[in-house]
Amino acid sequence: MDNLDAARLQMAFTLMFHIVFACIGMVMPFFMVISHYKWLKTKKEVYLTLTKAWQKGVAIFFVTGAVSGTALSFELGLLWPTFMKHAGPIIGMPFSLEGAAFFIEAVAIGFYLYGWKNLNPKFHWWTGVIIGVSGVASGILVVSANSWMNAPSGFDYINGQFTNIDPVKALLNPAWFTQALHMVLAAFASTGFAVAGIHAYQVYKGNNRLVHEKAFHIAIIFGGIAALLQPLSGDLSAKDVAKRQPVKLAAMEAHYHTEKGVPLFIGGIVNEKSESVTHKIEIPKALSFLAFGDFDAEVKGLSDFPKDERPPVAIPHYAFQIMVTMGGIMAFSALAYFISVRKRNWWDRKWFWLVFAILTPVGYIALEAGWVVTEVGRQPWIIHNVMRTKDAVTPMPGMIYSFWFYVFLYSILTATVIWLMRRQIKVLNATG
Amino acid sequence: MLYVVLLFLVVSFFLYVLLGGADFGAGIVELFSSVDNQKPIKKTVYNVMGPVWEANHIWIIILIVILWIAFPETYNVIVVYLHIPLTLALLGITLRGAAFIFRHYDAIKGQSQKLYDSLFRIACLITPIFLGMSFGALVTGDIKLLERNPDLGFYDAYVHPWFQAFPIAIGCFFAALCSFLAAVFLIGEANADEKKMYIKKATVAIISVVVLGTIVLIIGFVQKRDFVLDFISDVYAIAAVGISALLLIPLWKTIRNGNVVWCRFLAGFQIALILFAAAIVHFPMVIQTASGRLDFMQNIAPESVINVLGISLIIGGLLILPGLFHLLKSFRMIKALEQDH
Repeated sequence: MDNLDAARLQMAFTLMFHIVFACIGMVMPFFMVISHYKWLKTKKEVYLTLTKAWQKGVAIFFVTGAVSGTALSFELGLLWPTFMKHAGPIIGMPFSLEGAAFFIEAVAIGFYLYGWKNLNPKFHWWTGVIIGVSGVASGILVVSANSWMNAPSGFDYINGQFTNIDPVKALLNPAWFTQALHMVLAAFASTGFAVAGIHAYQVYKGNNRLVHEKAFHIAIIFGGIAALLQPLSGDLSAKDVAKRQPVKLAAMEAHYHTEKGVPLFIGGIVNEKSESVTHKIEIPKALSFLAFGDFDAEVKGLSDFPKDERPPVAIPHYAFQIMVTMGGIMAFSALAYFISVRKRNWWDRKWFWLVFAILTPVGYIALEAGWVVTEVGRQPWIIHNVMRTKDAVTPMPGMIYSFWFYVFLYSILTATVIWLMRRQIKVLNATG
Repeated sequence: MLYVVLLFLVVSFFLYVLLGGADFGAGIVELFSSVDNQKPIKKTVYNVMGPVWEANHIWIIILIVILWIAFPETYNVIVVYLHIPLTLALLGITLRGAAFIFRHYDAIKGQSQKLYDSLFRIACLITPIFLGMSFGALVTGDIKLLERNPDLGFYDAYVHPWFQAFPIAIGCFFAALCSFLAAVFLIGEANADEKKMYIKKATVAIISVVVLGTIVLIIGFVQKRDFVLDFISDVYAIAAVGISALLLIPLWKTIRNGNVVWCRFLAGFQIALILFAAAIVHFPMVIQTASGRLDFMQNIAPESVINVLGISLIIGGLLILPGLFHLLKSFRMIKALEQDH
């Protein structure tokens, strides 16, 4: 493996972890303050127990998110020094604002975790809300920096020099809104389903049903609404990508030859050598419609682009299929949940809880797959049509050792966090 | 606006050394304590640092972000040539943060605590050492730029600049400074019984700071490092270190008298003087490479970027500082305020 691939793998690997930690840190505070609110209103002990249990989860994930985020702030420079040297000043604004948002979150979390005894209850509750709001703001800002790599703007690129830099224009680049919306909904959907799933499993097993059932409903309402809205946001994203990065869309859809009235492939095995897709299901004219809102629109194929400007095809295509499938399953289950609110006898059936328990990881699978689509689909560019990833990587050789080092470190951290969560649940069950 | 950005850079650097340093120092003090003393230290550390322990470490992120936005050339040299020590410091930061939360938030307090504790303490020791080594490498003068030496081997380019006596000594010196800060800080939080112990710790820490500081100067002098040679001939630097040393006497008195506000203020001021001395020697030529010094203020980001950064920092500061202040006040971490009441 060459240095570039090792550096890319390391970045992918650390981001893969960070994104899960960060999403939980972003979304769980909302569950926590809802439960907290119910405790303040109803004074039912069960909500206090739940709030305190979730608060520990928030603390643990906030920290793992914070340290893995600190690691990324180092890694951006350590792995991609040439990128940062030129892009750092341009996309500095979202990062400096993100630093501020993160700081506010850390201050709020200090108040919240340690403020049960000596803070005014209302003020205390609001600090919990601030944790969530600033977490979401951080997420949006970081995604804006990423979307700039897809839709570079706010500078002129003349003779290899970046001039006339306008950081505000770079922050509000053409892709920021669709990407940020898609990501925020994804965070709520995936974390909602994951938290709901974990509690559903406990209900299924018959542990402390009172607490876990309440927890399930709070989480699944957030997750369910987000999962139902996500296809709409996905549609916006697809139309945006079709316009701005047609080559990425072509790779996602494994679409090789420019045509009008292009079918949508479902599944299929991509052969990158012969530039063909076999074993697929075709939906006539659907891709033209989804990308441009017109059944007969022309969709550019990969063969219209020079070979050295095409991303890999198989990986984004498979990842895209996985994302859409998982998203579909979630939207469907969300619908089922909202029906169950009317048909409450479903809640007495064991299979109901088992189904949601099985759905625990689907959101995160969709989330990771979605990031694979956008990141691999942007290759070979680190800044779309401006700078190639291979020109941005560190000159230091031996990145493969660095990669294994991070694999080792993050695996241990993840194992420990999972183990800690299991212990939290064990203790929570013992209270009932 | 450039001055606003510089001010934020200097302030976040100082606060990271002071607050982050005290956090690392607390772990170091714990590491070098007897088993009997470790328990009360752990408790005190949690009580006083719990609410702010994460906020303290955000200063380094602010620092990095300001560096990469406004001073991309300097940042580039740092991240390319100090890849390894920074990765190791990062390992320390990661393990320290994780171990802190594990040891205080594990639902079941059992045998695993021992593991978290040792992880926490060791991470607290290695992180400042590697951070100090990274700073040391920047002033040692053995960084060879690849543009000028394209055939440089791995060891010469990426290891030698930081892996040698002078930067290692600076790393150890910085770790000692951290433990000094923590010990002085903890004195103000302890009850009467523990106070004696912390005073002892502070004494040991002060002695190590002086001894390691002297070692740094001796190695630098023997090896004819420009940084040290210019340091000892720079009036301001010598004056700053001299005052810092003289302040040990009032510091000692305030510790004895139990004047928490003044002893913290003095300790912080001493650190500020030492940092000032280290920075003033070559400023703004902070980085010393084998082929000359790099001007920190050259090749900075264009004005439009600096302006937006300055405004963002001011807005961020206005949002954060009152909150942070209120946090510190609510949890009685500002001793000066308490004595007013």
